[in-house]
Amino acid sequence: MNVQVGDELPELVKHPTTRQLVKYAGAQGDFYEIHYDQDFARGVGLPGVILHGLLKAAFLGQLVTDWLGERGTLKSFEVSYRGVDVPGRPYRCRGRVTTVTGGRVELEIWGEDPDGNHTTVGTAVVEMTG
Amino acid sequence: MTMVVEAGHLKRFAEAIGDSYPRWLTEAPPTFLVAMAPVSAHLPEAEEYGKGWLNGGNRFEYLEPVKVGDEITAIGKVADVYEKAGSSGSLLFIIFETEYLNRHGRTVARLRGTMIRR
Repeated sequence: MNVQVGDELPELVKHPTTRQLVKYAGAQGDFYEIHYDQDFARGVGLPGVILHGLLKAAFLGQLVTDWLGERGTLKSFEVSYRGVDVPGRPYRCRGRVTTVTGGRVELEIWGEDPDGNHTTVGTAVVEMTG
Repeated sequence: MTMVVEAGHLKRFAEAIGDSYPRWLTEAPPTFLVAMAPVSAHLPEAEEYGKGWLNGGNRFEYLEPVKVGDEITAIGKVADVYEKAGSSGSLLFIIFETEYLNRHGRTVARLRGTMIRR
């Protein structure tokens, strides 16, 4: 196992579209209108339709599992949503290793909008087997 | 609520999140279990409060992998409800917890979610 504190995960950049939000709404079964109805979204004070928090969580999950591959397993994963994100803007997912204890590795993970705001922040714990 | 993890559902979910890792054809990706949540995170009783829902955060804990064909029972509950003062008025926080069990009754995953009415 060659993982050290401070290692950065390869960045994952997602390009969410309104179409993706609709596909995600169907796949998850979350039909809250703020994710596909512009008028509804503006009516509750949003800038327009926004990404599902759980879609951003899925992006960050992919960041971790892409990096981990078959070298171990994801044990836990926690995210807080700190800001809204709209489709049509790239979403950068990043992370770094914060603790290594034997095979147990803790990560800091976050998602950034194009202005550099960390609109999703979290942590993950993986158990390395290799 | 008991559901079987279907290959078609996994495929649609992986496509929707844009994650083409081949393992997700037969195994649940990290956030898939939210698609098998037993209760709507939009509690009708809370909808008189404020004007909209926000998702505050989620926590996933994994004990065993979940694979195609697994029969998963999800047991959900509202773990806590509290009010907090925010910068633009007060907010209502509702904490949901779901435990996922396999057909042998072993817990395979846990999910915690914080939903906010504002």
